Amino acid sequence: MTREERLLRAVGLRAEAARRLEGSGAGAVLRSVVEATVALFDAEAASIALYDPSAGRLVFEVAAGEQGQGVVGLSIAPDQGIAGYVFTTGQALAVADVQHDARFGRSVAERTGYVPRSIVAVPLLDDQGGIGVLQVLDKRSAAAFSLRDVELAGVFARQASVAIRASRVERDTSALLASVLRRLAEADASAPDGGAPRDEGSGRAEAEEEDQEALDALVTRATADLGEDETGLWRLADQVARLRDADPASVGLLADLLGVLVARTEQDRRRRSGRQGGDRLGGAAT
Amino acid sequence: MTDPVLPAWSEPFVEGRRGDLDRARPIGAVDRDYAFGGSDGAGVTVAIVDSGVDGTHPAVGGRLVASVKVEMSEDGPGVVDDPERLDVVGHGTACAGIIHALAPAADLVSVRVLGPDNRGKGAVFAAGLEWAIERGASVVNLSLSSRSEALAGVFHELADRAYFANVLLVCAANNVPGPSYPSLFASVVSVAAHDVPDSWTWFYNPRPPVEFGARGVEVEVPWRDGGWMVATGNSFAAPHIAGLAALIRAKHPSASPFEVKAMLAATADR
Repeated sequence: MTREERLLRAVGLRAEAARRLEGSGAGAVLRSVVEATVALFDAEAASIALYDPSAGRLVFEVAAGEQGQGVVGLSIAPDQGIAGYVFTTGQALAVADVQHDARFGRSVAERTGYVPRSIVAVPLLDDQGGIGVLQVLDKRSAAAFSLRDVELAGVFARQASVAIRASRVERDTSALLASVLRRLAEADASAPDGGAPRDEGSGRAEAEEEDQEALDALVTRATADLGEDETGLWRLADQVARLRDADPASVGLLADLLGVLVARTEQDRRRRSGRQGGDRLGGAAT
Repeated sequence: MTDPVLPAWSEPFVEGRRGDLDRARPIGAVDRDYAFGGSDGAGVTVAIVDSGVDGTHPAVGGRLVASVKVEMSEDGPGVVDDPERLDVVGHGTACAGIIHALAPAADLVSVRVLGPDNRGKGAVFAAGLEWAIERGASVVNLSLSSRSEALAGVFHELADRAYFANVLLVCAANNVPGPSYPSLFASVVSVAAHDVPDSWTWFYNPRPPVEFGARGVEVEVPWRDGGWMVATGNSFAAPHIAGLAALIRAKHPSASPFEVKAMLAATADR
């Protein structure tokens, strides 16, 4: 096995860890949020719908409660009904006497087989705006939801938002790793000095140091054309740093690799700015 | 249960906390009779920037005089006539019904800023608000707000423009953390819900940003398709203050937005 092959394998293992993280995803956390919501409100059902930008629809992802399951997988237009209003405006609200108006939500109700008496709906928000809606249906102990209920639902919605944001960071990180791996493979195939012989007598620490240098070189090649605008990368690094609090063991791996990427990008940028106004066609750093 | 991170804007207005609002009244001579006694809102136009208004709903009393909607195009958002007079949710009709119940002779104008296209919703909202200001509405009810930091400057400029153009913006506070424009700007009337089941009860909170508490819990409101709903939220508190402001503006046409706000504060419940 060449040094590059070993290094690629090392990077691949880290990417694999990232993929495993993605698998665990936000689904489990979202389910626990709606289950906790149902239990705390003593409600008939709770659900979370997330906005799918590619389809332009609000999709019900998870639900809990005896009357909740029928809604999972359904999607609605993002401007329709209570959920759509709350999603689009970010304004939490509660309604009761829903059945009083037979026309209300008939289509969704027909599809789920359950028409609630009362609903509280609160937005799921991230830095950019609305990402979805948490709905709670029919508090068993009361005919309607109170102002306190609206605020309490907001606390649960915030938990769900944090989980979704974390899973999106994981997914973004995985995508970044995958693209880096592809570039590594391409760079490795075309590298003229890829298979330099190594000194068999060097010690383990020295070998690791060499590995680290080689890894750095690979990563540099892979990220050399990330471009002038690395704000996305910095945001990602920042988010991963926050993620570390949530799940230190597994996320640490990602943060390590990202740290290398960020450091190398920073060096590249310094190098680029160092030769500002110079030979822009010169291309590859030496 | 009050989470310290959540801005519980309704907190000062709920039972058990309202004693804290007591203070010496600096404008003692103004009472409700002076502020809006005998007024029915005639001559005042209230714009409702929301999900549209069903003008045929009995609760709107035939007072809907115009309906427009904001559409996104490649050139950005544009305001066009909305001949269908559609309320895609029911929420705007609820706001209209609350305002009409308080100010039955006020004209209502619907500015629909929710549409099938969800892209650029902050910009759509801003365009709708700008249209309402340019049209010269006396009062604009905003039971929604934008969270877009990128549009904070736009909304601030619009709030100032409204204030200087003699247009009173009445905004529902947003009970979620983070920015909320224009509801937290100084020139607007920001409203959260109280839990007294009376539309003629409102409170003034001298500690901003949310200065007014109005009815917003279990309010029976008109909804889409001629229906009715019982609704809770700051969304339903704002139109109560918008309706009262319409009464004041009808009786005191020369009063500026800050004078209307001062009268609302002076005549609030203690």
